[in-house]
Amino acid sequence: MGVGANSSRNRCMIAAAVAAVIMLLGFWKPHVLIEGVQRACLYAVIALPMALILGIVGIINLAHGEYMMLGAYFAYFLNVYFGIDPLAAIVPALAAFFIVGVVSYRIIIKHVLGAPELNQLLLTFGLAMVLEHTANLLWTSRPVKLPLQYVSSSATIGSVTFGTYEFIYVASAVVVLVCLQWFLKKTATGQAALAVGQNPRGAKLVGIHVDRTYLIIFSLSIALVGSIGAIFMTRHSIFPLVGAPFTMKSFCLIAMAGIGNLMGIVWCSLILGLAENFLLSFRGYAGWADILFFALIVGVIMVRSRQRQVK
Amino acid sequence: MKTARYPTYLILLGVLASLPLYTGVYLLNVMDIILIYMALALSWDMLLRSSQISFGMAGLFGVGGYTAALLHVHAGITPLISIAAGGLAAGLMAWGIGMAVLQLRGMYFAIVTLALAEIFRVVVRNLPDLTGGPEGTVLPSAIFAGNSTRTYWLVLGVAALSFAVSEIFRRTRIHFALTSIRNDEIVARSSGIDVFKYLVFLFAVTSAVQGLAGAAYAHIYAFVSPEGSFSVDFTLLPIAMALLGGMHSTWGPVVGAVLLGAISEFLKLHIPYGHLLVYGLIIVFAILFFPQGIVGTLGKKRSGGAETETSGTPEPAP
Repeated sequence: MGVGANSSRNRCMIAAAVAAVIMLLGFWKPHVLIEGVQRACLYAVIALPMALILGIVGIINLAHGEYMMLGAYFAYFLNVYFGIDPLAAIVPALAAFFIVGVVSYRIIIKHVLGAPELNQLLLTFGLAMVLEHTANLLWTSRPVKLPLQYVSSSATIGSVTFGTYEFIYVASAVVVLVCLQWFLKKTATGQAALAVGQNPRGAKLVGIHVDRTYLIIFSLSIALVGSIGAIFMTRHSIFPLVGAPFTMKSFCLIAMAGIGNLMGIVWCSLILGLAENFLLSFRGYAGWADILFFALIVGVIMVRSRQRQVK
Repeated sequence: MKTARYPTYLILLGVLASLPLYTGVYLLNVMDIILIYMALALSWDMLLRSSQISFGMAGLFGVGGYTAALLHVHAGITPLISIAAGGLAAGLMAWGIGMAVLQLRGMYFAIVTLALAEIFRVVVRNLPDLTGGPEGTVLPSAIFAGNSTRTYWLVLGVAALSFAVSEIFRRTRIHFALTSIRNDEIVARSSGIDVFKYLVFLFAVTSAVQGLAGAAYAHIYAFVSPEGSFSVDFTLLPIAMALLGGMHSTWGPVVGAVLLGAISEFLKLHIPYGHLLVYGLIIVFAILFFPQGIVGTLGKKRSGGAETETSGTPEPAP
């Protein structure tokens, strides 16, 4: 495969095609474009911490969405018992879920780091089930939602009216992406983490504390996804199973972007978000939007495996 | 020992088949559930022996159930044939999915199968004319008009079939292929094993077993619905059973199914909303502290002989 020129030309063509589709969509169905971007950013901001764990700790965390669900309930109960606004609950959620991450890592994840991938998958699947059904036992499967006034704010441009509150997803995606890039590129811990992600043994040889790096990265990711739960629950009703689809959609995005490519996740989430909202905008086909990510993931796997064979 | 094995199995099967003679209806119903889960646990373990994880049992179970139920309701096909068709449909579905995605294995395959139940649920919900949509489809009557003895024999047949398939996979050359794929794929490939073909074949066969179990289940309860037929129970319980009993063996899932199946009846009564939590905990604990399972641990203690070679999981490397 001629990698250099060919792949960069391909990439340009894909970017041009995506841009053209977005322009067309903007004229034809402006709603789809705006809400699609908002939805895409929600997917991206949830997928980014998962990509961090997978890229650096090397573990696929099937309980990812469940941590988000717990974060959402955390913010919900802070509001119910202490009257704290969910958006203000982001800060305590960050702290609390960093600790949750440390505990999860020490008790569970640490023990399967060197184990076969099979054990890791089974373990995090079991963990997801435990978290889901603990939530089910404690808080029942009844969906809950806070009556917040500010989430239904909207704006009108021309003939198009759309929700403005959802741009919080866009903002949080930008913040998380920029902070993560800064953390990984500029801080010593972040650079150490990148080194560990590339080659744990090599990193150990040059004196990086691998176990501590794993601990920090895992806990940081859990903290991020927990606090995203707080943002998520302002707009959506929450129930114990709410996180599960996000685990799969996040993985879909990571598989599309390629492991370790944080920026790519944002582009791929744009594709998924826009495509889903496009389908949702047709009466009678809206129910099918939920299988789009599956079609994407299967498509990506087929393309990837063919590329590998060609090599 | 090897020659004595088959008569032993036949006697065991005979004893199990004669169970309706001296037990009540309730115990038979419990046995039905245990045997269905046993078939699922065995089929899951069969695929695991090649170190591929499927989280898609619930999906293929539901596909089998829906196929059987819809063929019976809409095309008037007799229940037994429609059950076979349910197994076939699940097998074909898995073959197609396997052809598409099994070139990339490990976590890619695991996540694709994890999504299966959800995907099929969406499909079923969105085809209300065919499937009855979210309300599901009610069959005119349960199979054998609800006769518990015959129902039990049917389920016993499904479980015995999956047991037999599992033993065939253990005793023939397929076993060596799977074990070598598990241990080192590159070595397996260089000794002439077509890894992709074996895995697709294995995924299709195990899924057909799961489809059969689902089809039988649908006919026993005379009802299929998106929530019931694709319930996470059918993924979670078999995995917990196989892990508790011991991976990579035939007897492990069987022991696990009997133990957990009996316990689950108790749990369902006492913690109706949280009993699945227990299975999640079992999975986590089994992976962390008890990777050999019951059968693996006992086999090791007893002899350390031939049986342990197949039931051993690689220890976590430091």
